[in-house]
Amino acid sequence: MAATQTILTKHETDEIDMWLKRFPEDRGQSALLAALRAVMHEDHYLSTEKMDAVADYLGLSKIAVYEVASFYSMYELEEKAAAKNTIAVCTNISCMLNGSDNIVEHIEEKLGIKMGETTPDGEFFFKIEEECLAACCGAPMMQLNHVYHENLTPEKVDELLDGVRSKASLKNKEVS
Amino acid sequence: MSNTDKQFVTITINDKEIEAVPGSMLIDVADKSDIHIPRFCYHKKLSVAANCRMCLVDVEKAPKPLPACATPVNEGMVVWTKSERALTAQKDTMEFLLINHPLDCPICDQGGECELQDLSMEFGSGTSNFHEMKRVVVDKDIGELVATEMTRCIQCTRCVRFGEEIAGMREMGATGRGDRMEIGTFVEKSLDSEISGNIIDICPVGALTAKPSRYHSRAWEMMQTPSIASHDCVGSNVKLHTFKKKLVRVIAAENEDINECWISDRDRFSYQGVYADDRVEKPMIKYNGIWKEVDWSTALDRTVEKLTEVSAKDIAVLASARATLEELYLLQKSMRSIGVANIDHRLRQVDFNDQESSGAYPSLGMKIADIENLDSILLVGSNVRKEQPMINQRIRKAALNGAKIMCVNPLELDFNYDVDAQRVSNPVEMIKTLAIIAKASYILSKTEIPAGLNDLFTSVRLNKADKVFAENLIASKNSAVFLGSISMQHPGYSTLRALSKAIAGNTGSTLAYLSGASNSAGAWLAGVVPHQKEAGQKADIIGKNAGEMLSKTKKVYMLLDLELERDSDNPQQAKAAMNQADTIIAVTPYANKTLLSLADIILPSAAYAETSGTYVNAEGTWQSFKAAAKSYGEARPAWKILRVLGNKLDVKGFDYVSSKDVRNELQGLCENVNNENPVSVEGIYTKLDDVTSQSLYRIGNVGEFSGDSLVRRATALQKSNPEQNAVQLNAKQAALLGLKDLPTVDNEHAEKEVMVDVKQGEVVVSMPLLINDNIPDKCALLASGTKSSSLLGSAFGEIEITA
Amino acid sequence: MIRSIKHFIKSFTLFELFQGLGVTGKYLFKRKVTIQYPEQKTPMSPRFRGHHALRRYPNGQERCIACKLCEAVCPALAIDIEMEERADGTRRTTKYDIDFFKCIYCGFCEEACPVDAIVETHIFEYHFEERGKNIITKEELLAFGDKHESEIAKRKAADAPYK
Repeated sequence: MAATQTILTKHETDEIDMWLKRFPEDRGQSALLAALRAVMHEDHYLSTEKMDAVADYLGLSKIAVYEVASFYSMYELEEKAAAKNTIAVCTNISCMLNGSDNIVEHIEEKLGIKMGETTPDGEFFFKIEEECLAACCGAPMMQLNHVYHENLTPEKVDELLDGVRSKASLKNKEVS
Repeated sequence: MSNTDKQFVTITINDKEIEAVPGSMLIDVADKSDIHIPRFCYHKKLSVAANCRMCLVDVEKAPKPLPACATPVNEGMVVWTKSERALTAQKDTMEFLLINHPLDCPICDQGGECELQDLSMEFGSGTSNFHEMKRVVVDKDIGELVATEMTRCIQCTRCVRFGEEIAGMREMGATGRGDRMEIGTFVEKSLDSEISGNIIDICPVGALTAKPSRYHSRAWEMMQTPSIASHDCVGSNVKLHTFKKKLVRVIAAENEDINECWISDRDRFSYQGVYADDRVEKPMIKYNGIWKEVDWSTALDRTVEKLTEVSAKDIAVLASARATLEELYLLQKSMRSIGVANIDHRLRQVDFNDQESSGAYPSLGMKIADIENLDSILLVGSNVRKEQPMINQRIRKAALNGAKIMCVNPLELDFNYDVDAQRVSNPVEMIKTLAIIAKASYILSKTEIPAGLNDLFTSVRLNKADKVFAENLIASKNSAVFLGSISMQHPGYSTLRALSKAIAGNTGSTLAYLSGASNSAGAWLAGVVPHQKEAGQKADIIGKNAGEMLSKTKKVYMLLDLELERDSDNPQQAKAAMNQADTIIAVTPYANKTLLSLADIILPSAAYAETSGTYVNAEGTWQSFKAAAKSYGEARPAWKILRVLGNKLDVKGFDYVSSKDVRNELQGLCENVNNENPVSVEGIYTKLDDVTSQSLYRIGNVGEFSGDSLVRRATALQKSNPEQNAVQLNAKQAALLGLKDLPTVDNEHAEKEVMVDVKQGEVVVSMPLLINDNIPDKCALLASGTKSSSLLGSAFGEIEITA
Repeated sequence: MIRSIKHFIKSFTLFELFQGLGVTGKYLFKRKVTIQYPEQKTPMSPRFRGHHALRRYPNGQERCIACKLCEAVCPALAIDIEMEERADGTRRTTKYDIDFFKCIYCGFCEEACPVDAIVETHIFEYHFEERGKNIITKEELLAFGDKHESEIAKRKAADAPYK
């Protein structure tokens, strides 16, 4: 099973091997979520090639990997999602009632992109729709690079987004 | 629980008391007592998913309706399937199912035979509470065989479970989530499974339909005729569907003993070949090189004239093992009665040395259904998955039950189950590999090695790891050695067979032959072999075998349903023999260019589904079938042609009125024939030269879809498997030719095609090259029976490849 | 006794003769129902079932989807359809024959049609001059539909509220 040739990086295979050790030998499928997470961490999205590589590495059929990858909203399947920062605003009922629509509108205006798009400089990816992240008590909320931010206001969003924007891109902006 | 100890529990369904096996599912019990419970996702051969909720029934003391497919029966259970609660639940389920299903049955190909349509007549409501937009799913192209309309999918996941549990390769899956869940392959790819067509049968709606017969006719206007499939030695039961007396579709029929309820893609889609462009309409005679259509009596008189003007020694009779038992028997009987002894059907066989040791006919030696009870299996030279998909299905079941599967092959094959021990070596080495296993079997069983095998055994060395084959076979109560058609085509067949016999004998295993064609067993029983008459009786004069008939030219050749350039082992040799012959008489449904250029008399016979007849499958079951479709043009069933020919040749006892008469006569003669395969070993017969370091050795087993004239004309199947027309090498071997970056076999959308020149004998053929690392060094896989290989020589022999 | 006297009087006064002539006389002056066909024509229901036609959508695409429901429902087995899959993936007829000698003009085909493709028009005046012309082909049916489309549409619309 130790793949003879794989396009997975050393970091990814190490991570997968680490997870594989925790499960019985013939239960490669158990390590699938972690394996895809490792790939997400490297590439910020899951390409078909990488998913195939994961399937081969774990000894699963390819479709089994596609099924899992397309099911969970934490995995992105399109290349355009491969931005430096990912914004995911919850739009489910609690957040909606507390004004998530305004937050979405504000972010769209600020970044000049619609939901599901990536800024041209590759800084931000605004996820098309995020399901409830179980933080209703702090609605409206969003996930910025997998970190929860609650009780959002437009000002707070500005602050957060500017905070993660890398210095390089800030410099570019000043020049322009 | 005391219930589980009991053999039966008593439950009540709709006030009817029923005895049931404890733990069996309610829906099963109801089915057995003819109480119908509606269902979509439940299928008796697949695991229980319980996701369609259509089978909700009312169970006493249960707070809610329970799904019958996932509710085990218990003592004293009281169930109502038509109570108000059950009906409400079923009607509500139906309304939910119809939310996203389009209501345009008239344009759907499944309309009229759709389970959803039928059940919505029963449980559907005229109105729906759902007024929003229906979802739409984009169709995916999943190959030449299965058409998709995924908007119609109700996500019962039968196809997904079929792939996982039956086909052994997951190709369909459920991607996405919630209302966006889609069934499909996710990436656009064609289905690779050899039995993928079965998802058409199990799909309860019109999401997956047969592409070749799509929109040809409607379900209710087709006539259904039960029949037998004609491409492997299983004889799968099928149902032929005809529209206006033309064959338009084939679906699986159920027969637990033979094919359960599945059939291979080859059996399902080969019917397309029936209406090929080169069907012969009228009898034809070639006068001075020009074909002329004539009437039947002229053609038959001419045939008789040609057969009687030469000495019987100069006549060679060759028949296809796909012909029916009746045809083969009448051919044999009429030809032997005029003194012809040269009669054979084994055109792909090369090594005939031990033909007398086959017994009455090479059989499976057991029932097909018993294969799944085997504990260990040794496959010798068999690509069983492609050659005999239904046998492979049984082997897979055995493997899943824990049987040890071992194989010896000239190339690494792709199995859909775990193989415990596998030896891959080039065809010549394969004999030695098998010899090692045989030697181990002698040592482990403490049997004396017969003198004939001594030389071979001293030339091989036995390693400890090689003992596992014989050990597994000896340790198992039920074990079998399968000889596949790669072995039968092998130039050292008699040796392979002797060794297999030795292994089977020493380990107490059954020797099983996986003969290639649908009626190989029938051909032996009908006496279409040079050394045996009907029912396994010894022939009075032993005639020439197929190999001899084609290597030394005879004056008159009589061919039954054959295309020699594709059906024989060595097309070059066969064509040379034909070229020199005086007269070639062909009884055939098709006349391709080669046949038109070689033959002198063509008698058009009815094709598959146009004739009644019988096939004897490998286990020895006689399965008769009726004609389903109308004959093309003036073509006649071959048994009628041969009967009239017999009459004209003044053969006694040729007064058959129906094919049944012929069958009954032969069946009477075959009463005492047993299907045991003898395992006594006398010695070895062939010696092969080692593969030299320079040359390439061809592995030329029959391609998946190139085995007979019908399947070769099935356009969809041919398109679905372009690999069989290519020559395949491993990457290392290709690098030696100076070729790099080549398309591989599993690389579906190869951008470029690399053509190479393949030389065998004097002929050079240009064909695409594919990389397949399952092939051993110094070997090239080049299937026989294909168009490109019809110009080449023997299936197993040296070839040259140049870039 | 009274009966025979009554009869006696009626016979001599020719009462019953005048009664009969009275009826004749009444109808002599009543409005006539006779229609001078072909100059005059009776009023016709929008559901009248005459010569068949195949219709098209306004964009010119033929309506028929070759579902064969009309063929299945036809009690006289007058309809014969063959079909194919077109390049655009739709199912269409390659042959749509109606044998007008077999047809009993029951209108079931029109009822069964899910797309209003086959209709029975208001045209009932037609004849055949040659043997075999009684079988109307798809081309003829389509041409017939094209010719009378406006009238067919009008009649369909008139009947729509009652369906």
